[in-house]
Amino acid sequence: MTGTTVLTRSADETRDVGRATAGLVHAGDVIVVAGELGSGKTTFVQGLAAGVGIAERVVSPTFTIAREYVGSVRLVHVDVYRLERAQELLDLGLEDLADDAVLVVEWGDVAAGYLPADHLAVRLTPGPGADTDERTVSLTAGGPSWGARADAVAAALDAR
Amino acid sequence: MTLMLAIDTATPRVAVAIGEDGRVLGSVYLSARRRHAEALVPAIAYLCEQTGVELRQLGAVAVGVGPGLFTGLRVGVTTAKIMGQALEVPVVGVSSLDLVAHPLRFGGQMIAAVLDARRHEVFHARYRPVSGGVQLVTEYRVGPAVELVAELEAGGEDVVLAGDGVASNRAAFGALERAVDAGREFEAPSATALVEIADGRVGREEFSAPWDVAPLYLRASDAELAWGNRR
Repeated sequence: MTGTTVLTRSADETRDVGRATAGLVHAGDVIVVAGELGSGKTTFVQGLAAGVGIAERVVSPTFTIAREYVGSVRLVHVDVYRLERAQELLDLGLEDLADDAVLVVEWGDVAAGYLPADHLAVRLTPGPGADTDERTVSLTAGGPSWGARADAVAAALDAR
Repeated sequence: MTLMLAIDTATPRVAVAIGEDGRVLGSVYLSARRRHAEALVPAIAYLCEQTGVELRQLGAVAVGVGPGLFTGLRVGVTTAKIMGQALEVPVVGVSSLDLVAHPLRFGGQMIAAVLDARRHEVFHARYRPVSGGVQLVTEYRVGPAVELVAELEAGGEDVVLAGDGVASNRAAFGALERAVDAGREFEAPSATALVEIADGRVGREEFSAPWDVAPLYLRASDAELAWGNRR
């Protein structure tokens, strides 16, 4: 597990972090986005989506659970906030998507045992300062394929 | 005379057969990828037409209950249950791993049936050939391919590997010395095997009411997500 942590001072800067990550993702990847309500999970995904050429407005799929967008890759955006049981997650048939889409799961950390260990974990936390727009964004590469990209993730964030 | 419809959708391949007293009248195999729902019913209709069998003549429905990939698996199991209920005939559920192992029953060696569970994991079970079939000698399990490989290595026994989980984890299984790969022909559950196995079970009245047939998921799907106090 190798991680990179950056600070953002606004939603736009959080979006930029998502956009910077976009250059590294390809079909079959899984990205787990963790953080409490209002921490900017969807904001991060908006940047990622823009970075893979999705022009459509990306909104939180809390109520639809999953939304699909098509850019330079297919992006499936899932929010498990309303799910209680692993069965409901399995019912989404996410395993069948793994091959040809990028799967982004908000609150995915609560379903750790049901998502591939090989994923990029993004965690957003408010602060460290008192400014309500500040966020600490940490990106952790887990598993062989993301592990091999850990340095590239750090470089992409530096270059943003 | 019993006419039987046999369905397996536990892998990316849809397998359908119609049998009469354990003999296959016709079978269809389609690499459906993720289109099981679109491929299955037309395949059944085609087979009925070509074999001259009408649905209402069916005496039983047999289905591979996995373990296997979730989306495909439930298409087959749901279709079999609905047909069983609508036609008022019994449904026979057989493990899809049994359907991989059964065609290899004439070799002397132990058989490891290995289906792809994605992300370097496999569904697996081991069998010994016995007179008239194969005998399950482990439980049905899911886990990392490398763990199964380590177990087989420690067992030190000659083994035939079959199922699509072998090709998907070539690097792991390639390290095994006392193993042969049964190859493409045996990579998915056999509808012919399903007709044979299920016919025997119908003869012994080992079948279920349609609503009692359930997929073998192996993963703990009734578990709660780890919310704690977070919502």
